[in-house]
Amino acid sequence: MTSLSCPFCGVRELAEFAFHKTLPNAGDDPLSAVYLRINQVDDSHEYWQHVRGCRAWLKARRNPSTGEVLEMNLLGAVTS
Amino acid sequence: MPLARRHYSALALLRARWAGSRYWRPLWTGRTLKDHYDVVIVGAGGHGLATAYHLARDHGIKRIAILEKRLVGYGNVGRNTTIVRSNYLLPENHYFYEDALRRWGTLSRDLNYNVMYSPRGVVDLAVSEDEIPAMARRGNALRLAGIDAELLDVAALERAYPQLAPRRVRRFPLAGALVQARGGTVRHDAVAWGYARAASALGVDIIEDCEVTGVRSHADVAEGVETTRGYVRAERILFATAGHTGMIGTMLGVPLPIETHLLQAMVSEPIKPFLDTVMVSVFPGHGETYLSQSDRGGLVMGGHLDGFPSYTREGTWDRMQDVVAGAVDLFPQLAGVKIVRQWAGTNDMTMDGSPIIDRCRYDNVFLNAGWCYGGFKTIPASGAACATLVATGTAPDLIKGYALSRFATGHLLDEPGYGPFPVRL
Ligand SMILES: Cc1cc2nc3c(=O)[nH]c(=O)nc-3n(C[C@H](O)[C@H](O)[C@H](O)COP(=O)(O)OP(=O)(O)OC[C@H]3O[C@@H](n4cnc5c(N)ncnc54)[C@H](O)[C@@H]3O)c2cc1C
Ligand SMILES: [Zn+2]
Repeated sequence: MTSLSCPFCGVRELAEFAFHKTLPNAGDDPLSAVYLRINQVDDSHEYWQHVRGCRAWLKARRNPSTGEVLEMNLLGAVTS
Repeated sequence: MPLARRHYSALALLRARWAGSRYWRPLWTGRTLKDHYDVVIVGAGGHGLATAYHLARDHGIKRIAILEKRLVGYGNVGRNTTIVRSNYLLPENHYFYEDALRRWGTLSRDLNYNVMYSPRGVVDLAVSEDEIPAMARRGNALRLAGIDAELLDVAALERAYPQLAPRRVRRFPLAGALVQARGGTVRHDAVAWGYARAASALGVDIIEDCEVTGVRSHADVAEGVETTRGYVRAERILFATAGHTGMIGTMLGVPLPIETHLLQAMVSEPIKPFLDTVMVSVFPGHGETYLSQSDRGGLVMGGHLDGFPSYTREGTWDRMQDVVAGAVDLFPQLAGVKIVRQWAGTNDMTMDGSPIIDRCRYDNVFLNAGWCYGGFKTIPASGAACATLVATGTAPDLIKGYALSRFATGHLLDEPGYGPFPVRL
């Protein structure tokens, strides 16, 4: 993984983006929501931000075992 | 029955000189997997091997197996930048890390294997005046605990490390440093091999190429592990799987406060003796670089995590650039030196940056994990303490703070104060 594609800005260097957290929360209680993580080996759902670009919040699907980006959408946008 | 190991000594070298290379024996011998053990340890990294060694040596447990999905030393124990130190701020951490640092001092003798502990000092550089009060606070906390720490101003830094030439014009001017003189480096491969050899000599079965794929249980007691070489019954099970602990959480059906992130390291072509210490520098909003020079002359360098969950062991290009740029900012004289190798390891990042040594899910299943990017330096302390937990069922005081329950009760050990994220935005 050397770059990511922002829905607004197009393909930009990875250094412009920041990973925030995986989705969904492990549970609804505070412990699960804040601290626990569901380990997603090949299809990880994540919040990212184009923090050194347009600063849009993004929702990604990636394969952490290969580095492949499966989907990258604006947070809140409807995905198929 | 495996051949007895050779005791290493000057005399043994002389003997081998006459007996030829056949004098030497394999460090650990390939044993066959039995179908029942008192303790099964999953993962032959530093923590699994050291725990096995202490279980056999200190607690007299006879039937121990270490099951390793690849080979001894192929995990993070053989991928790290070999730095050891105990200059952590929080008491729960610094007493534990100090116990490890003291053990490094005698480990070569204990294992009869030279792990090349080199107390060359660890120098944490400050690149702004604002960092000095935080360093002073950490240094004072350490000194109160009887751990060495020395705060240097720019003039003292210049005298101690002339290669830095602190007054040089640089992007981040140096403001001082916190030094731990007893910190330094240890040869990582030797740690894996030395513990494996010593554990094997005490009768521990080290089984390579054997992946644990599941846990069998009955009425909330774990009974054994499914492996790629068949089912193995076990009275107790310890997972010491470092970067793959997230997968163990899935296997046990419990989400853990762990995310898997990559950390990379790189080494330069060999150059003449240049740096006789470990230098660490965090550049605000930019990155981090730590470097030391190996005995072969290569500069061993590392920095921040890549910053997102990954199992690829590849490492991103931009993080490598950060690390190198930081090194050249510190030492412009390195600008022409070539990087010859780069690699990455998967790190079991916890949500407070501190480890977990505790029971997990079952009364007879234990977890030794959450070592983040700093678990090499703790191996000797972790092995001794974790063995006590597994053998007696009670955690010794030194690791009481590392219970899983701290995430529920709020007793977090968050050294840098980041909050519940392995990386900052
Ligand atoms: C680039 C880098 C630099 C670092 N630098 C430092 C440093 O300077 N100082 C420091 O203190 N720490 C450092 N660390 C951290 C340190 O290396 C690790 O925290 C520590 O080695 C982890 O513990 P371990 O040795 O037991 O892990 P490992 O050696 O990774 O052992 C875990 C083993 O478990 C095996 N395993 C996993 N799942 C299974 C399964 N299902 N069945 C069977 N076997 C399994 C793996 O194959 C592996 O061999 C660094 C790490 C990296 C990646
Ligand atoms: Zn953008």
